[in-house]
Amino acid sequence: MMGLASYLLISLILFVAGLVVMIARKNIVAILLGIELILNASALNFVAYSRYVTNNLDGHIFSLFIIVVAAAEAAVGLAIVIRFFQIKETVHVDEATQLRN
Amino acid sequence: MFAQLLFAMSALLTVGGAIAVVVTKNIMHSCIFLLACLIGVAGLYATLGADFVAVTQIMVYVGGIVILMLFAVMLTGGKDFVSRAQNLLGLAPSMGNKWTFSIAILVSIVFLLTNISLIGNIVRSHAPKTFGNDYPSTVSQIGHLLVKDHVLAFELSSVLLLGALVGAAIIARPRKQ
Repeated sequence: MMGLASYLLISLILFVAGLVVMIARKNIVAILLGIELILNASALNFVAYSRYVTNNLDGHIFSLFIIVVAAAEAAVGLAIVIRFFQIKETVHVDEATQLRN
Repeated sequence: MFAQLLFAMSALLTVGGAIAVVVTKNIMHSCIFLLACLIGVAGLYATLGADFVAVTQIMVYVGGIVILMLFAVMLTGGKDFVSRAQNLLGLAPSMGNKWTFSIAILVSIVFLLTNISLIGNIVRSHAPKTFGNDYPSTVSQIGHLLVKDHVLAFELSSVLLLGALVGAAIIARPRKQ
């Protein structure tokens, strides 16, 4: 039951769920949730390959840096969301048209 | 046996949490299901022998990012944030329904199993090698790798975090028009 394939399957489900959330949701915070799901899928893949294929710890290092980048991305993204809410009074993604023409 | 139990519950929590994030309408409930999903991923890390990554996942994601997301949801709720009054068996109002309670029980069991697995790894890595030591602790090896092979990425991540901190503070600062 515990093999590389099952971890890859779980990671695939995580990735697809994140992609669906990013495409289907209209709330900007929900889109950030989808990004977190996708980053987790990639980090899980790194650790699974590190355990079952390469047998060293480089995948763990990659996974830790993915967590660092995800933390930075969440901080900046949520700051942008809060600033956008101060301007537009909504977090609907279709209202973000300030950069158009 | 223990690892398979932890793997099964973590996989169930991860997949169920991810699907629930997709299908839930309420964004606050989506954040809570994302928390369950991330704890499940930490359990999967524990089954893979990545104890330091599992602990970092729980600390950074569950303790930091999801809480930040919940604050952002609450700060940007506005008019389209719906809150429905739910109760458990009519006993306590606004305490969640049986689904949230079952998710919470599953989360706590996986969290407990993850912690037991990590503590078991630590005990086994300090014990003499008389019984199966298939998962040695990875903390010292990760520390050596971070300051020897990957030291450039390590230092650059500190610059990245400082930039993100300053940038987030500048962007979210209220401005006088």
